[in-house]
Amino acid sequence: MDDASIDPDATGDDGDLPEAAGRRLGSGSFSSGLTVPDFAACLQMGLAPVALVQGFCVMQWGWYGQGSPYSRGMTPYAFSGPSVPRGVYSESYQCPHGGYSYSNEHRVWGQNYQQPWVESAWAEGFTSSYTRMVEEATEVGAHGIIGVVDTTRHLADMNVTEFHMLGTAVVVRGVAAPSGATPWTTYLAGQRLAKLVEAGYMPVSVVASLASVRVWAYCVTEMLMEGRPLSAYGAGGYLPVAEVEQLSRAHIAARSLAREHVRSQLGHDTLQGAAIVANTQSLAQGDEVIECALRGTRVRRFKDFDPLPAPRPTVRLS
Amino acid sequence: MSDPGWAQAPTGSDLAAEMRLAAASLGKPAHDAPSRAVTSDLSVDESLLLHSIGWEAVDVVFGASVVSIPPFVWTWGSGEITAASEAHNLAVRSAAKHLGAQCTEVRGHGVVGVHVEIEVQRHHVDVELTGTAVRPVKGKDTNHPFVSDLSARDFTLLHNAGWGPVGLAFGASFVYAPRRSAGTAMRQSSQNVELTNFTEAMYAAREAGMEHMQRSALDMGAQGIVAVRVSEGPMWFANHAIGFTAWGTAVRLEAQAHQYLSPQVVLPLDDAVVEFDVQSLR
Repeated sequence: MDDASIDPDATGDDGDLPEAAGRRLGSGSFSSGLTVPDFAACLQMGLAPVALVQGFCVMQWGWYGQGSPYSRGMTPYAFSGPSVPRGVYSESYQCPHGGYSYSNEHRVWGQNYQQPWVESAWAEGFTSSYTRMVEEATEVGAHGIIGVVDTTRHLADMNVTEFHMLGTAVVVRGVAAPSGATPWTTYLAGQRLAKLVEAGYMPVSVVASLASVRVWAYCVTEMLMEGRPLSAYGAGGYLPVAEVEQLSRAHIAARSLAREHVRSQLGHDTLQGAAIVANTQSLAQGDEVIECALRGTRVRRFKDFDPLPAPRPTVRLS
Repeated sequence: MSDPGWAQAPTGSDLAAEMRLAAASLGKPAHDAPSRAVTSDLSVDESLLLHSIGWEAVDVVFGASVVSIPPFVWTWGSGEITAASEAHNLAVRSAAKHLGAQCTEVRGHGVVGVHVEIEVQRHHVDVELTGTAVRPVKGKDTNHPFVSDLSARDFTLLHNAGWGPVGLAFGASFVYAPRRSAGTAMRQSSQNVELTNFTEAMYAAREAGMEHMQRSALDMGAQGIVAVRVSEGPMWFANHAIGFTAWGTAVRLEAQAHQYLSPQVVLPLDDAVVEFDVQSLR
């Protein structure tokens, strides 16, 4: 394989598998996370399962805390130093009311901005667990990893997230062992993988990204989201039904950023079976953190498309 | 590692040969690579079906809108809660517009498989739409992309029947359930009795919501709406307010006449034990 979407150097030296893992992988029996139908399909495709491979990474979320390299201090608008990456997405909103005539709490300025320090920390956790899984597969001489499942979960009462990757390492029968190449990976297995290959696509790697956008609401957003009057005493009335532009733009930006992060890993390949999970954490007064994770399988066309015959509608008598 | 014997398995099947070819290809440049990476949330089946009618996926696209609901609209009253209905309809319209704009940007002709997520809160309505922009393989650009929540499979079927989607038809209505008089409430407190105020409110919300939806379809020049879904019930933050939303894909006939598909009746002879046989794919 000529390239891998995820940085294989993220965890340091190769060959640092635990000794027990090395013994287990060399034990002579195979293990697999495939269901029986997927296992049957795998054999039919000329793939031989070698081992169930896994990678873990437990990350402490310390980016907002004291001493964190990601901390930006007390003010949301100041960056703590030149080492903290700035995002490509940022837009500001100015109070249209001449804020001095209201109260000191009137939010005269708001901002949406990308949080690359959050994104890179997530990517570090994901990439480390991915690379460790791939390392195990490389150790057993696998050509690829199929049926990849990745999960992230928060460990109870700790500011800690666990990244876990799991998949079945396989060898393609009749193909020479790869020398120094990174195994290909895919979320697909069984008949879905068979159909992908039939359609002329070969999986290259799983790809994933997280985009994070922080919203500091300005006065209009706050009033619209909280149902507040223009002044503290209700004078000036309430705003009518209206689109909360700052938030709408932030939601679209988070999703678009996630897509662009993934696109930057694709080269000229295709992302198949994209799965999008968005999470909005409402803070207060219209402030929000929007996070969007996008994952899928990067696939590459290896032959011309064989057009399917026109599908024939059927009615099943069962 | 010892070989459990599958090295002797038939390797002459086309699928295994395809797999070997595919694995060997990774060291080479991509075959017929697109100039821009394509992203898609369609399944393999859906991509193949789209291709069978000469369409292809272009990009995953998004639309989102947050619309405010003024304060005090949920306090007890009578009739339709116009501000809430307006906010809901505006949020969907605006999110669909954003989705359409992204689709046009990537030169898609429409968006299929749109996943609709709606959340109604006391002070705002949040709408998020996600789908895959698609286009005919040799189609020209269009400035009027459609938005459809039909799956690529249903879109293919619709296309083969001579119909085409024109947009997402949507309607929502929120209605107060009128307060019962104190005497009525007291009298009914120990009875098994229909709460006609709630039933009537549901009917009122239903009528207004369906009307909004049909009007939005007619405004798009559609002849009908397929795959309509509805959701209804009291608001979690205001039990005396009933909400009704309905949405579906507005369609119109694009062929000269409807194409009868004449589905073939099949009696599958599946063996329950053999859950999968890859040969059936060919």
